[in-house]
Amino acid sequence: MHVIRGIRGTFQPFWVTLRNMFRKPVTIQYPEEKQQLPERYRARLILTRDPDGAERCVACHLCSAACPVDCISMQATEAEDGRRYAAWFRINFTRCIFCGLCTEACPTLAIQVTADFELAGRDLLKLVYEKEDLLVDHCGNNNSYNFYRQSGIGVAAPRGTNPGETPPADVKDLMP
Amino acid sequence: MLTLTIDNQTISIPAGKTILEAAEALGIMVPHFCYHKELGAVGSCRMCAVTVHTGPMPGVKMACLIAVEDGMVVTTGDETVATFRERVGEWLMLNHPHDCPVCDEGGECQLQEMTISSGHGIRRYQGGKGTYTNQDLGPFIAQEMNRCIQCYRCARTYKDYCGGRDFGVMGSRNRVFFGRFKDGMLESDFSGNLVDLCPTGVFTDRTFRFKSRAWDLEQADSVCPQCGVGCATIPGGRLRELQRVRSGDNPLVNTTFICDRGRFGSGYANHPERPRQARQEDQVVSVPAALTALETQIRATVKQHGPEAVLLVGSDRASLETNWLLQRTAKHFGCRVPVLNAHRQRHQTAQMAAFDLSERLASLQDIRSSDLVLVCGVDPLAEAPLLALALRQAVRKGGRVVLYDPRPVELPCDADRVAVSPLALQELLADGGVEGRHLRDLLSQAKNPMIVAGADLLGLAGLQNIQKWAEKTSNKERPCLVYPVLAGPNSFGTALLSLPEQDDLLTRLASGKVKMLVCVDADPLLEAPEGERFAAALTRLEQLVVLDYLPTSLSRHANLFIPTCPPVEDSGTFINNEGRLRRFQRVLKPGLSLARTAPGEHPPREFSLDTPGSDPQPAVLLLQRLIGQEQPLTEVHRQLVLEQPRLAALVSLKAGEAGVRVAPAVARPHSLDPLPEQPAQTLELVVTPARYGGDLFSRYAPKLEPRKRPPCFYLHPDELQAHGLKDGDAAVVETDFGSFTLPVRSQPDMALGCVLVENSEAFPQLIPGAGLGYCVISAGGANE
Repeated sequence: MHVIRGIRGTFQPFWVTLRNMFRKPVTIQYPEEKQQLPERYRARLILTRDPDGAERCVACHLCSAACPVDCISMQATEAEDGRRYAAWFRINFTRCIFCGLCTEACPTLAIQVTADFELAGRDLLKLVYEKEDLLVDHCGNNNSYNFYRQSGIGVAAPRGTNPGETPPADVKDLMP
Repeated sequence: MLTLTIDNQTISIPAGKTILEAAEALGIMVPHFCYHKELGAVGSCRMCAVTVHTGPMPGVKMACLIAVEDGMVVTTGDETVATFRERVGEWLMLNHPHDCPVCDEGGECQLQEMTISSGHGIRRYQGGKGTYTNQDLGPFIAQEMNRCIQCYRCARTYKDYCGGRDFGVMGSRNRVFFGRFKDGMLESDFSGNLVDLCPTGVFTDRTFRFKSRAWDLEQADSVCPQCGVGCATIPGGRLRELQRVRSGDNPLVNTTFICDRGRFGSGYANHPERPRQARQEDQVVSVPAALTALETQIRATVKQHGPEAVLLVGSDRASLETNWLLQRTAKHFGCRVPVLNAHRQRHQTAQMAAFDLSERLASLQDIRSSDLVLVCGVDPLAEAPLLALALRQAVRKGGRVVLYDPRPVELPCDADRVAVSPLALQELLADGGVEGRHLRDLLSQAKNPMIVAGADLLGLAGLQNIQKWAEKTSNKERPCLVYPVLAGPNSFGTALLSLPEQDDLLTRLASGKVKMLVCVDADPLLEAPEGERFAAALTRLEQLVVLDYLPTSLSRHANLFIPTCPPVEDSGTFINNEGRLRRFQRVLKPGLSLARTAPGEHPPREFSLDTPGSDPQPAVLLLQRLIGQEQPLTEVHRQLVLEQPRLAALVSLKAGEAGVRVAPAVARPHSLDPLPEQPAQTLELVVTPARYGGDLFSRYAPKLEPRKRPPCFYLHPDELQAHGLKDGDAAVVETDFGSFTLPVRSQPDMALGCVLVENSEAFPQLIPGAGLGYCVISAGGANE
């Protein structure tokens, strides 16, 4: 038995080599050639805008709470119209493990993943992204959702005028 | 004791308790909103449904409303009530704006927790959501009425528990609204409790708006340092900034409520002017270098001029450990005993409380259940705000409050108020004739009498008479207890540590032997009367050394300054008015907040191991290093207890606990100051701490600015007329401490023959508790 296995083990690799010599190679000449990545590939994070063009991020801290490596930090602040937004927003991509938990936690669809995985460099500080580096000028993978038009606190539209809301109650009305 | 079964577990519980409380005692969580252990139950949220299987009417019941009965069988998780609760959860969420990402309550919201625990997830209702218009409730509280679930907790807190009058329920059916009649700042001094008590995000802390999430905060059990009550607090900070203070839970002291001064008055920790670097003769030095310089200077001065030459000064806002280590430092260098409180009269009255009265001290819990409280010389809202709440609870339970004070004392409850001048109050307490006998009879007849005594106004003589009254009106069945209102968070502690009959600061400075003064967390200029005498003595000193965390003027003038840490950046112990040891724990490490090092921008893009502004060290640590004995706090406590057996509970005390009383002690001999004779044509001068800005902490709290009142003199309208003055006129008041020009205000509720002035940063020269004083008032001066 050992003899037969030995002979087969000697010749089989030659056969595999011979067989593949005439096939088309699968290697891609990266970085000259780029690979077509799957649609849902998880790499560099972006902050998207809502259909009205405003920042989607409300700095709710849910992404930083969900982040298993603590690479997201931010500070919320208030605009004059009552809108909550991020005064600063920082993702440390030297720490990020591209798990995508932040995008799952995000209640406003602000933080989204892109397929841009090319995040390497010698200067670590260049991989610490601030809000201006993260913010993009499009809606990402959802072109319709605007958090402030769904939540009834009167930021994007006056109170009581968002879809499914009734006008503000007159609390001094005594009619039954 | 009644025995009942809840979810197959048996428990024995005293009669009168509800099913909800019995379940909580067993560790079974029944979801609820409107029930709160201090506010009680109203049964308006319908969340706490359980099934009762026994009795004449078995079925689904509200656990917070049904009293336990013997042999009762209850299930809290069966299918009927689980479905019932899910429906209730869905119904409470009908009008909810679904804005948790931008709501400050998110992360510590009871509505979030209960909705999840009830099982409700997807909205089915297709009808419109009701909305409200919000009100502007001032700088402390932000309102978002769309989040309301109509549990009535806010109205019960604000109106029922805290006695506020400008907030309530309006509207009918699904328009029920909780707020003021019109926009405006909430008037109650306890308005901040709305934030803690609201189970959703209707009322949130405006000063903390959008600053942090609850889960990101560094929090620890602490004690409020702003008065002698010693309320449990949970301060929270992030990015090296103390961002908010929330009430802790101490059933014996403050229950779950704190006052607005304690809640919004924490700005001193992050004050822009807070000194954070050691300085020697206006040159910045490192803390170790400053300590070495201090040690050399003390040794040289003691060697050259003798033990009298170095005087160490402690204070009633420094922890017990700091004050004790100060005594130890004096021993180490061979100096004379330190002065633990620069305010001589306050130190005397605190010693009276810590020794003579130690057997009959009342707690706030006792006052809440008293049927007769005699309040003498206290303005609770200014001197001990939670005492006002305790008095209100006593009145709500059918008790009576009788109040004798020269000031127009406002209380959040009904009280029999008698306005008497300080001199008349002293005479009343000394004997009092018919009125005094009547009061003593009332106290003798009461089931559970208490006397609340304001140490500042009554002084030593007044407190001694109060003690006599308490002794006379006690009997075998029940004692008559006394609650002394002292000035500082650790007045009791400094008095307990002090030696009997020691000289006060000014006497020792006047002797001329003192060459070097070391003030630890103390500023005698701002905290003790006769600041002018002290300032004059300062010029004769060779060295002034200050260790402090507040930007006081004394710290700016020191030859050697070393920064220390406020209680939120330190661990230690305070002893409150009722002689209760209260441990506080460090919340934050010292450092300049990110909001100041990088204003309006992202954090700096550089890596460094240093924290900006992190030089300050706890005073305890500095003193230990000074004498070369660095020990953990537990070892300090062990040695302290060996010296002071009354503090035996110190060793096992933990932060967040209710705290243990110190053991009683025998009375101390006191030297009484003679009452000064009233010169002819004079009025009595009453100096009272301002409600906001009276204590040193709230002077450095920018958030409290909207509540501060402009300085003025208050006089009874008859007195105004007698002196030819009108309300709003400028008047000159000549006192022993100088003459002051300010507008006068008419105040019909105060005593005749008095001029009332509030001590605040506008009026730092006049310090409360300096004994009886007289002044002459005349029209004149430019109207400001």
